[in-house]
Amino acid sequence: MLTKVFSVANSGMDAIGIDVEVNVSNRGLPGFDIVGLATKAVDESRERVRAAIANSKMEFPQRKITVNLAPADFPKEGSSYDFPIAVGILASTAGFSVPEKSVFSGELSLDGGLRHTRGALLIALYAKERGFQNVFVPAESANEAAIVQGIKVYGFECLEQALAFLLGRESVLPTRRSKERGRRGEDAEFDMSEILGQELAKRAAEIAAAGGHNMLMVGTPGAGKTMLARALPGILPPLNDEESLEVTKLYSVSGNIPPEGALITARPFRAPHHTISQIGLIGGGQRPRPGEISLAHRGVLFLDELNEFPRSVLEALRQPMEDGHLTISRSMERVWYPARFMLAASANPCPCGYLGSSRRACACTPREVRNYRKRVSGPLLDRVDLHVEVPEVDVEKFAGNQSAAKNAEPSSAVRERVAMAREIQAQRFGGEKIFTNAEMKNAHLKQHARLTQEGERILARAASRYQFSARAYVKTIKIARTIADLGESEAIQVSHVAEALQFRPKTYEPE
Amino acid sequence: MMVVEKNVVKKEDARYPSLLRDISDAPKQLYYKGEWRPELFEQCLAVVGARRMTSYGKKVTEQIAGEVAAAGITIVSGFMYGIDETAHRAAVRAGGKTIAVMPCGINIIHPEYQADLYREITETGGLILSEFAGNFPPATWTYPKRNRIVAGLSQATLVVEAGERSGALITAGFVRKYGRKLFVVPGPITSPVSRGITQLLKGGAEVASCARDILDSYGLPSAQVVAAPNPHALHSDRGNLEGNIVRELAREPLRIDELARLLGAPVELLGTTLSLMELAGAVFEEQGKYYAH
Repeated sequence: MLTKVFSVANSGMDAIGIDVEVNVSNRGLPGFDIVGLATKAVDESRERVRAAIANSKMEFPQRKITVNLAPADFPKEGSSYDFPIAVGILASTAGFSVPEKSVFSGELSLDGGLRHTRGALLIALYAKERGFQNVFVPAESANEAAIVQGIKVYGFECLEQALAFLLGRESVLPTRRSKERGRRGEDAEFDMSEILGQELAKRAAEIAAAGGHNMLMVGTPGAGKTMLARALPGILPPLNDEESLEVTKLYSVSGNIPPEGALITARPFRAPHHTISQIGLIGGGQRPRPGEISLAHRGVLFLDELNEFPRSVLEALRQPMEDGHLTISRSMERVWYPARFMLAASANPCPCGYLGSSRRACACTPREVRNYRKRVSGPLLDRVDLHVEVPEVDVEKFAGNQSAAKNAEPSSAVRERVAMAREIQAQRFGGEKIFTNAEMKNAHLKQHARLTQEGERILARAASRYQFSARAYVKTIKIARTIADLGESEAIQVSHVAEALQFRPKTYEPE
Repeated sequence: MMVVEKNVVKKEDARYPSLLRDISDAPKQLYYKGEWRPELFEQCLAVVGARRMTSYGKKVTEQIAGEVAAAGITIVSGFMYGIDETAHRAAVRAGGKTIAVMPCGINIIHPEYQADLYREITETGGLILSEFAGNFPPATWTYPKRNRIVAGLSQATLVVEAGERSGALITAGFVRKYGRKLFVVPGPITSPVSRGITQLLKGGAEVASCARDILDSYGLPSAQVVAAPNPHALHSDRGNLEGNIVRELAREPLRIDELARLLGAPVELLGTTLSLMELAGAVFEEQGKYYAH
């Protein structure tokens, strides 16, 4: 008897419908084979399905079982076919018909339980788009699938429960979309008000967040660079629905949504260690997976100790940073992952870290300092608009000084200004395919970032004094544009230009 | 085969600096780059100090070495980074002359990334000197050798910032041995680069608090030095904030954050104001701290 069950595979961010055809034949020697370009993980599915059925108070048929995964030329991987295969087999032996317009996906454990499986959201989205009505997934993945409305999502704890439902012996209610939405934007690890001192660096963070500028923080170890970076997601405007879905989809595909997890509403913050490989950072592999830059999509990618990252790894960031997405081509497929993130990086001023420190003498020679700074990839620095020095803070000065802590603004107040500035930018660039000041090209600058005469004069004077390259000139204008936006000023005044000059590169300059 | 060096002055040569000839262990010959003019050696001041100078050391060296050079005295130093380099640059900038004594063969620029300074020194009528020929590499024992030439060429030596057991103290030792005059610039006693200075002060070194102190010992009047703009005069009529900033910075160099706290002004306003003041030449920034001129 032949049974057809529908399932879904993913290729990057795209879903592909898979027909799971299960033939249980009375003829031929008893056996169990899976065909249709199945990889190792899928092949192992045989053992899981066999044990799971046996441990669910059911008999595994001693007949010739052939499973075909179609289309047969697309490579299948992963464990999500366990559930549809088991359902196909049981339909033959237990005598029920598989419900129409239904998609099955999930991994089985040997005891018959259904485990959380990656990609549930993608499957639900595909199901809705293609007119399916029901989605059958493990209970732990049901919240994730239920984000999609207009289809019924059924979550099952184990195969036995699923069978009871399919046989009509037990009723299971469809999972409702989880109402519990993350407290938007407030889930950053640090609040700005928790960071003592660092007024200039906080201001830099605000400007960077408002204009989508990449920033580099330079300072002695322990000055609070990491803390500032971790506070960044909290001052970015909250994810809108579309962005939320995009991020959740990425995390779903890469298996980064925890069991019972639902829609991601907090801006991602990724801080890969400097030992990360290029594939880990950018994405790739034999079956291309998203890298850290994609997991930081719509959020913040923090590279701590920038000098320690291998140059080749950093230079691979270049293209995706320019494009906002990444295409990985392999012989069998080509996948596409979005990667539009804000880069926050930190670096020490010198190898020992204490150059310019008032607490400890620096032990580096100028040559060592030069070589150390040269290690940072120039092309990457080109893409950093905003540089800020983060000095060590004398904690004793603040100890017991409650007023200093009280005066510090909470992230929510900063976030409001940032959101306002972003709103201004959205209106300005409406229909121009860019969203933030950081993305402005020369044509945009001419149109949207005109300086007042006096501003022009000050910038020209600064350019000759600090020997600005053409690029540094443009970056200063971009930052001045954002500062003006934060001040809700259409014209870029002298004061905006002058403040922007504070954030020019002082230690790490692109060559 | 001996390479015949063209640019060399032997001890027997009449052109050999007489002050240097006086010392007991005078070098047998001096190799040089640049144009050898005897008047260069008439009045020399050695300026030496820490490699790891502070911003204070840099500022003081620039000021004193610049003024002394402008008055026509040749600044002699060791071309090392830090105070040495600053003294050379200050002399060049003030339109004065300077002599760099190398711890290595005359054909080597050490440290090599200061090639621009090397070029400037010879182009502005200064000299590069060494008692070592060709590509002789610098070694730990060549530095003290070099230091004796620096001290030997000069009527007086100024030490700005020196740690314990520093090269500058070795130079100061030669200064005493040759019976020349020793000036030091006092620094905060808490700084590690003040330890050598306090040691020298206790040993009877003279305090130099301005170029005048040194010029007096050469019997020279001050040169017409372009005075740094007086920030008070410059900003007397521009907002209160600038005046307050200058007042705070004159007392002690500060970061923007610290100024913001002291003056109770928002950091964005201070950033704007300080940028404009720096462009106007009223303040300057180094390693994150602002200084009043």
